[in-house]
Amino acid sequence: MLNFLATATAMIAGVTMVIGLLSDPGSDARAVAALVIQLVAVTGAIAVLLGILNLLSVHLGRFTHAERGWPYSLLVLVVAVGVIVLRILDRAAIWSGDLEGEQLSPRVFEAVQVSVESALAALVVFFLVYAAFRLMRRGVTGWNVLFTVTIVVALVGWIPLEDLDVFAELREWLVRVPVGAGARGILLGVGLGTVTAGVRVLLGQDRSLRD
Amino acid sequence: MTPETLDLIGGWVSLVLTLMVFSYLLGDNFLYRIAVHVLVGVAAGYVAVVAVENVILPWINATLLADPGEAGQTTLRGMRAVGAVPFLIGVLLLFKVSARLAPVGNLGLALLVGAGTAVAVIGAARGTIIPLARETGQAAGGEDSALIEGVILIIGVITTLAYFQYLAAARDGRVQRARGLRVFSGVGQAFVIVTLGALYAGAILTSLTIFSGVFRDQLEFILDKVGG
Repeated sequence: MLNFLATATAMIAGVTMVIGLLSDPGSDARAVAALVIQLVAVTGAIAVLLGILNLLSVHLGRFTHAERGWPYSLLVLVVAVGVIVLRILDRAAIWSGDLEGEQLSPRVFEAVQVSVESALAALVVFFLVYAAFRLMRRGVTGWNVLFTVTIVVALVGWIPLEDLDVFAELREWLVRVPVGAGARGILLGVGLGTVTAGVRVLLGQDRSLRD
Repeated sequence: MTPETLDLIGGWVSLVLTLMVFSYLLGDNFLYRIAVHVLVGVAAGYVAVVAVENVILPWINATLLADPGEAGQTTLRGMRAVGAVPFLIGVLLLFKVSARLAPVGNLGLALLVGAGTAVAVIGAARGTIIPLARETGQAAGGEDSALIEGVILIIGVITTLAYFQYLAAARDGRVQRARGLRVFSGVGQAFVIVTLGALYAGAILTSLTIFSGVFRDQLEFILDKVGG
């Protein structure tokens, strides 16, 4: 019964939204769709909050039971709670003296989040180059050669070398024609797949809500 | 403590964390794990703060704590009822923790799935399928070289789509695609590989650019603070 209700809710919400999104702006159906989108956005934020609480409770469990890697869990807990407390203090405008009017939480964001994410993104270059190298070591096939040649042409085409304009032109043609065609084909495939899977949900044929 | 001192501390923290992340090049080690766990903690804290400050609190203020103002009692009651819906769904989602009570949680999930599916379907049709199909159809509208390129483009799109067709039938004891489809999908596979190769090269260039940016920033900080 509950599974039937869940499937029916998904179908009703989905069909209502489709009608609303296809209606004229200013119509009642569009207003209902806008309200549902707002409800979903707020529910999504609540779900994110629940997810974070779950993450913190898992790390708290690992710490209290002294499981393997508990110091890292303690670190996650301390940092997460620290950021939240810092933001609360920022909102309370508690800082005085030279720091009066300052917001400390954006500084923490800049120093920690931005620098670690940038460093992780920078680290990717080594693994991408190594993976391309490993690809050819595993065995030389026609498709491997085509993939590697494309990478080399695309990379060399970026180098502003004199007398090597041919690589730049080849790269430009490659990106405009074959890559343009392949990317469009992939995107169209993704779009068609999305519509197919979506219609199955709207018709109540999808089983994901029954498990 | 002054803002300048905070900037200095921030710079050193940034430098140390960057070096800790780069230590992964020597192998998985505790410095890298510390940096990653710090990132997880900060990200969790920030996401929680943003979700509460930018979404949940404005929603509560606009609905549950709405000022009666000129709105009638009936309107106000309606707004409060609507305002409570996301929290009700949030409570339903908590049931997903238990395998036995998960079907109750599915009720909350159903609204998200239904609305999300509708947005995805309309978005895919309006934003991807129709514009791309129209553009591809117009690609062969030029002259000479543009015409040839347009034809290649159309062949590429069709064969790429054919490559992702998995229709097959049993023939001579083997399950295989029809011969025509095999030829088409072979050409499509070449287009897909060239596309992925170009995207891979783009990813290498992007991460190389980020690497040089990070390296330059940290080197400038060291030279500025240590070199004088």
